[in-house]
Parts: sequence; C-alpha cells; structure tokens
Amino acid sequence: MTLTKILKTLFTCILVISFLLVTVSAYQQHRTISALAELTDVTSAIVTRLSVEELVYVDNDEKLHMYSIDPAKLENCPTRWEINGKNFDFRVSVGYETGDEHVLGPYGSAPPDDRTRCSLAVACALYENGRFLPAKLSVIAWRA
Amino acid sequence: MARLDDRGVADILAIAFMFVMLVLAAVFMHTYSLRPLRAATDRQLELKSGHLYMTLELAWVEPYSVSFLRAATENLLIEQPTVPGPYLRSAMENAIEYFCPPGYAVAISLSHDNSSWELSWPEGVGLGVDAEKQFVRQGEARLTMAGGKNIAVPVTVRIFEITGA
Repeated sequence: MTLTKILKTLFTCILVISFLLVTVSAYQQHRTISALAELTDVTSAIVTRLSVEELVYVDNDEKLHMYSIDPAKLENCPTRWEINGKNFDFRVSVGYETGDEHVLGPYGSAPPDDRTRCSLAVACALYENGRFLPAKLSVIAWRA
Repeated sequence: MARLDDRGVADILAIAFMFVMLVLAAVFMHTYSLRPLRAATDRQLELKSGHLYMTLELAWVEPYSVSFLRAATENLLIEQPTVPGPYLRSAMENAIEYFCPPGYAVAISLSHDNSSWELSWPEGVGLGVDAEKQFVRQGEARLTMAGGKNIAVPVTVRIFEITGA
C-alpha cells in the first residue's frame, strides 16, 4: 500500500512538472512566433513603402506612379529602416521576364546566417525605356 | 464506496483527469501560439493580391502599349480589341505563372451584362469562388466606347489555396 501511495505521489509530481514544462515551452514558442509574425509584418511594411513611396516612378509632370518601380532609384535606396523603434536591414531585388529572366540587384548587404530572415515577393510594374513591364519586387528582411 | 477508496480508484481517476488536462492544455497552447504567424502570412497574401491587381492594371502586354486589364476589358466589350484574345491569354498566363505564390492559384474575372472574361492559373483550377482560403481584390476597369459612352467593368483578382497542395 505504501508503495502504491509513493507511486501515485511520484506520478502526480511528474504530471505537475510536465505541466510546468509545457507552459514554459508554450510561452517560449509564443515569443518566437510573435517575433516571426512581427518580422513578417515588417517585411510587408517594407515592401509596401518601397512600392508606393521610395522606389516609385515619377514622370516629367511630377506625377507619382504607385506600384511602378523606377530602376534608377534602386541603387540609392537605403536598406536599413527604423520601424516601430527597431532597426531592420533588408535586401531588395527586382526581377522581370522579357524572354529570359532578368534581375536588378540585389541591393543591400547579404542576410546574416545566424538571424531569422523573412522574404516576400510581390508583383509590380517596372518602368524601363518608356515601358511598364510586369516585374517581381523581392525583399529579404531581418532584425539589425 | 469504501472499498473503492481503499483501492485508490479515486486517486487514479484524479491522476487520469490531470493527464487529460495536461494533453489538452499542451495542444491548446501550442495551437493558439501559431495564430499570429498565420494571420501575418495571410496579410502577406492579401498584399500580394492587391499588388497583382495593380500590376495588371499598370503593366503593359508587350509589344502593345496597353495594360493587361485594359486589354482584357477591350476583349470583353469590343469586337476588335487592341490585343488579340489568344495572345492576351498567353501573355497573361505567363505573367500570372511568374507571380503566383507556390501552393496557390490565381483567377481573374471581368464581367459585364451577361458576358464575362475569365482566366485562371494553373489551368483547370476554376475561379476559386468556393475556396476555403482566398484573398480577393476587387476593382473596376473603365472603357470609353466609340459613341462616348463610358462603361465600368467590375474586375476580381483572386489568389486562393489549391486544395490538397
């Protein structure tokens, strides 16, 4: 009978410890996932700002063509931005197909291997030689 | 009842209940913690859908100086459009294939009165209206006809998950 009680107590202790471990593990996972979700949203914010502000093609009448990329602006685009009080680095490139696939860039430093990175590619128009070509704006972002 | 207590059945039931609670709590906590990431990736697909719509509105069908959506609207409304129908479909399929996210399909539809112009990629996936996960961007393409009549054509660009992908 004593052995049975000892086993029950032991099993209860194991369950309590397991519960605590699961809780701690879930909390750590939640933090990791939250950081990933934040990085994902930051990447979306970077892509949006690039395509409607930083890289936008401006014609001779000073009219902004949102979602149209001016390739001349790619080279001088700063690749470290402060978003929500945190610094993020990113690498940007623009790919397009005219028979073969061409890629402008990448611009920005290479992403470090030891950091979590998030990549996003969206469709955009590329203004080149007076034509608007369908192109793909790709961004890889990471916490600086 | 006293005999059951002597055998410790109540304790075993309590321990079994705790075990079930532990498993349920673990599943719940780990499932719940993934929700922000799923929501963030869904927002990215929403963004892709919006960008795809704008790109089709702006980018030209080479070698014509007409945008994809304008060309599709002309194909829907007029008999002799700037871009011939088969050429437009081929060019648009190539463009969509280039932009389509892996595991997803893209459908574009324009409708006016009883006629419609539809295209989806990969072929045969349909328009994805009933797809469980879909990201829709709707807008309007306008075309001025020969008589000066301005016609607005509703446009829908839909990115949707391919079932079983």
